[in-house]
Amino acid sequence: MFRQSKRRVANRRNFGDQVSRTPGKFILNGITSEEEKQLYQSLYESKLSFYEVPPKGEITLEQFELWAIDRLKVLLEIESCVQRNKTAKEIEIIVKPLLQKLLPFTTEDLQDRKKDYYSHFILRLCFCRSKELREKFIRSETMLLKLRFNMMTSRDQAKFVQTLNLPFLQFISDEEKEQLSTQLYQTISSSLQFQLNLTDETARRQYFEQEKFIKLPFESVIELVGARQVFIKKGYAYLPQFQQLNHIANEFANMLSLALTKTYQTIPRLNEDDRLLPILHHLSTGYTITNFQQHDQFGQASQGEINAKSVYSSAIQENFPLCAKNLMSGLKENHHLRYQGRQQLSFFLKGIGMDVDEALQFWSDAFTSGGQMTQEKFNKEYRYNFRHNYGLEGNRINYKPWDCRTILSRPRPSRGEYHGCPYRDWNVDKLTLELSQGMSLNPSQVTSVLDSVQRTEYTIACTKVFEMTHGGSANTEINDQSHIAHPNLYYERSRQLQKKAGAAIK
Amino acid sequence: MTTSVAQTSESKPGNGPSTSDMQYYYQYLYPFKPIFTWLNHSPKPGRDMINRELAMAFRSGAYKRYNSFDSVQEFKNQIQRANPDRFEIGAIYNKPPRNMDSILKAEMKPLEKEVVFDIDMDDYDSYRTCCSGASVCSKCWKFISLAMKVINVALVEDFGYEDFIWVFSGRRGAHCWVSDKRSRLLSDIQRRSVLDYMNVVRERNLDKRLNLKRPYHPHLTRSLDILKPYFVEIILREQDPWRDDDMAFGSLLTGLHDKNLIEVLKRYWKSNPRRSSEQKWSDIDALAASQLKHPSSSKKTDFFNKLHECKEDLVLATLYPKLDVEVTKQTIHLLKAPFCIHPATGNVCVPINETFIPSNAPKLIELQREMEANGNKVENTSLQPFLDQFQQFVNQVTRKELASAKREREDDVDSQF
Repeated sequence: MFRQSKRRVANRRNFGDQVSRTPGKFILNGITSEEEKQLYQSLYESKLSFYEVPPKGEITLEQFELWAIDRLKVLLEIESCVQRNKTAKEIEIIVKPLLQKLLPFTTEDLQDRKKDYYSHFILRLCFCRSKELREKFIRSETMLLKLRFNMMTSRDQAKFVQTLNLPFLQFISDEEKEQLSTQLYQTISSSLQFQLNLTDETARRQYFEQEKFIKLPFESVIELVGARQVFIKKGYAYLPQFQQLNHIANEFANMLSLALTKTYQTIPRLNEDDRLLPILHHLSTGYTITNFQQHDQFGQASQGEINAKSVYSSAIQENFPLCAKNLMSGLKENHHLRYQGRQQLSFFLKGIGMDVDEALQFWSDAFTSGGQMTQEKFNKEYRYNFRHNYGLEGNRINYKPWDCRTILSRPRPSRGEYHGCPYRDWNVDKLTLELSQGMSLNPSQVTSVLDSVQRTEYTIACTKVFEMTHGGSANTEINDQSHIAHPNLYYERSRQLQKKAGAAIK
Repeated sequence: MTTSVAQTSESKPGNGPSTSDMQYYYQYLYPFKPIFTWLNHSPKPGRDMINRELAMAFRSGAYKRYNSFDSVQEFKNQIQRANPDRFEIGAIYNKPPRNMDSILKAEMKPLEKEVVFDIDMDDYDSYRTCCSGASVCSKCWKFISLAMKVINVALVEDFGYEDFIWVFSGRRGAHCWVSDKRSRLLSDIQRRSVLDYMNVVRERNLDKRLNLKRPYHPHLTRSLDILKPYFVEIILREQDPWRDDDMAFGSLLTGLHDKNLIEVLKRYWKSNPRRSSEQKWSDIDALAASQLKHPSSSKKTDFFNKLHECKEDLVLATLYPKLDVEVTKQTIHLLKAPFCIHPATGNVCVPINETFIPSNAPKLIELQREMEANGNKVENTSLQPFLDQFQQFVNQVTRKELASAKREREDDVDSQF
């Protein structure tokens, strides 16, 4: 799309368009032109856009960058909320002010609409480069769409749905609804209670009587199927109208996913490298800043200090987050870890700077020291696994240490397993004991951590623990005080503080 | 692959079939043609088999991925020549997997695969007292039969799938293969969600209450209705897991909602140790009625409703199918092919239904004996009924595929005019 617009610019230049208007004037004209106004009027007929047609107008480089940054700020906040396991409602409360400031959408203002439209497409260019970026972008854009949809009046919502022209939007007949009424009501009654706040049974009944149901292939609302929030029969899902947003969001995500792949394929042909690409590059690296990037920041510094022996030292181990401590003690106890545990710990250790030779030494010592496993058995059955983790076998992928989201999305540990997140997987008694005795937190601190755990905010619980065990948030000025969503970030931050404290004493 | 590691560490050499037994089996008995046709969805070799990954696992623990075969003959020849302990079935890719080395990894894309479910007896060990570990008997196999029953109904009624088959895993589990076109097309995310829908008992940790949302989703209501009649017989009488007082404290009491009731029961069972599961199950209601004070009759009704719900959750916690989640989640996941020989037991992994018990499974050693006795006639061996059953299933799959292909062609023609 950019190639096209650029060519058009070139055309105009070559054929002397600038004779009639100076470049600056041209842009100003562009903004107020009646034609453009009408275009956005139709695009935003229902205040919300599905971004189906790429923009073809002209904007300044400054707008290009600023608009993209503003949208990026919103998306980053959304992403961070998602990472912190916030519910949709909480996200709305957090993001709403930001949205109104940076990307207002309920106004009729042309400039706002243009900004919204362009910024979306500019970010598409930034985040189409890798699967990871694409997925993140789709996740937060879809969330943004959902948030905005929920902020609209029901009249605007209906209007929006009408403009979409989605397939499969057929309502079931009254007879069919009557026939399935028991199952349908059974399925949606808790959603009615919690999503629409209908606490009263008769109110729910009444709502149900009025509600229309859409019948569509279950694949289209697969998240609801997974959460068992929709009734399915013979391959069809029966979606109440108040949940249609899920379906819409799904369609949007699919559309966006296809579009991003297409953009990715065409980007090498973007005949442009000095003006836009640096901006795009800059923006897309900014997006991963919340991620932990140990190779750039810490990799060299800690090289060599972690080896098969030193990893057991208390100077190192006291910097481990609880999940890693848990794995280490499980390993010590059993002289073995099951697959998930091996992976989690092995990647963590890799992340803190243990190289492959040391890792093999470490694991083979740990596995064979119990006397139950011979070196030969280790070599035969596990060596490959650990070499694979370092990208030396098979696919040769240089795996990254797992972040908290990965850990939390993996299967939970069953008996005799130690992977996962202790804040989620341990029962309250065990966790309380560890917090109060193992980490010597005072009772009110323990309660505060357990509160977060109760609200399933495990990374926040972990961040709290970090702050409590490292002299409060006042002491963490080395890095920003953003919350910890990566075990290795926990380690590195703790280790830095430790080194700093050590240096101060000297 | 980790699967191969886990398998080999358990199998003891000497018990299972020898390499020459396997050679014999592949040469004379293994039904290559029906397997090929089934995976290919048509007798004529097409993309679904030519681009299909098969992996071979060897005695040494080696595991060879990315094999693919263009014809039945090649399929048979290659397997015979390599003579693996077992082989596994993977996804259909956009290119033949055997060309893996000559194409970029990023260009190999998994497109389709049957949806598979895997149930393993291990996951029932907490409630299984008749056997433990690798062994299995007709009593504990009931867990698997019931799981099949529950999953079958859900596949047909909820997802509208029709063409699926259960296969004995050779020792203590079962695999379900769903061949419907719509199921084969599911993406990884969709597979995961279908799995989440099916997988009710996610926590294998016993000390956490299931605490399922009320009212139950219709799938849970129906599953509970199926399982309830078996609960007394299988759990309370036959397996009797809560006769062990520690187990009762650890997995029965933790399923209840009320602290006082748990205290009362704990005291009672401590002073009356080793009461049977059935007694303990009725103790719950009895003591709740006699020992606890309820401030009002409506509070009392609430309390017993909640208690009843806890008991329903417990029925599901013990009997609802416990799935091995990893197998279902990914399109590219590999699963042992039907009719393979289990390397440790020598059992043939035959297609099964709800009435099957593990001792019904033909063993390779017996088959070899039967073949010797009847002059090498496969149709006279005890394998034949299973071959017939499988062939019938394959016919059903190919018929459907043909019909849908025809419909598509007609639609195309229609749209042209």
